[in-house]
Amino acid sequence: MELADRAVGFLLTFTSLSIFTYYTFWVIILPFVDSDNFIHNYFLPQEYAILIPVCAGVVLLSLLCIFIGLVLLKSKKKKA
Amino acid sequence: MKHVLKLFSLLVVISALWIGLLQASIIPRTHTWLLPIYFIVSLGCYGLLMVGVGLMRFPTCPQEALLLQKDIAEAKDFLKKKGVDVGSD
Repeated sequence: MELADRAVGFLLTFTSLSIFTYYTFWVIILPFVDSDNFIHNYFLPQEYAILIPVCAGVVLLSLLCIFIGLVLLKSKKKKA
Repeated sequence: MKHVLKLFSLLVVISALWIGLLQASIIPRTHTWLLPIYFIVSLGCYGLLMVGVGLMRFPTCPQEALLLQKDIAEAKDFLKKKGVDVGSD
């Protein structure tokens, strides 16, 4: 039981750390590197560095609003 | 109320720093525009990290679990003697 918990925790830490390093590299270090270096093949073009977090944030906010709306509707149905 | 004020003042300080950076132009302009998004993403990452680390270090206390089971059995016995229906057994 606790092994499953620990595995999930480890997965979460690993994901968060990898996202953080990748994003740091992308936004801060890459613009200072020459444009014909090989490392640029591993990173998407820079516009996506803004698009992806903004899209993810919008999706998250909309999911949150949908969830709140559903809960409110359910509670209203139960009262009436 | 006080915690909200602290957070708000922190936000004001950070935005002042950002505007100052924009004006001073030490870093190229495109970089300074990316900074707020970078901070939001890193904040989300930090939250996820704390959740993962907390999950990994969660203590299970096996002795306490045993004592709890004993307590439950004792309570069920007692209630059954007094005639209360305890349900699942």
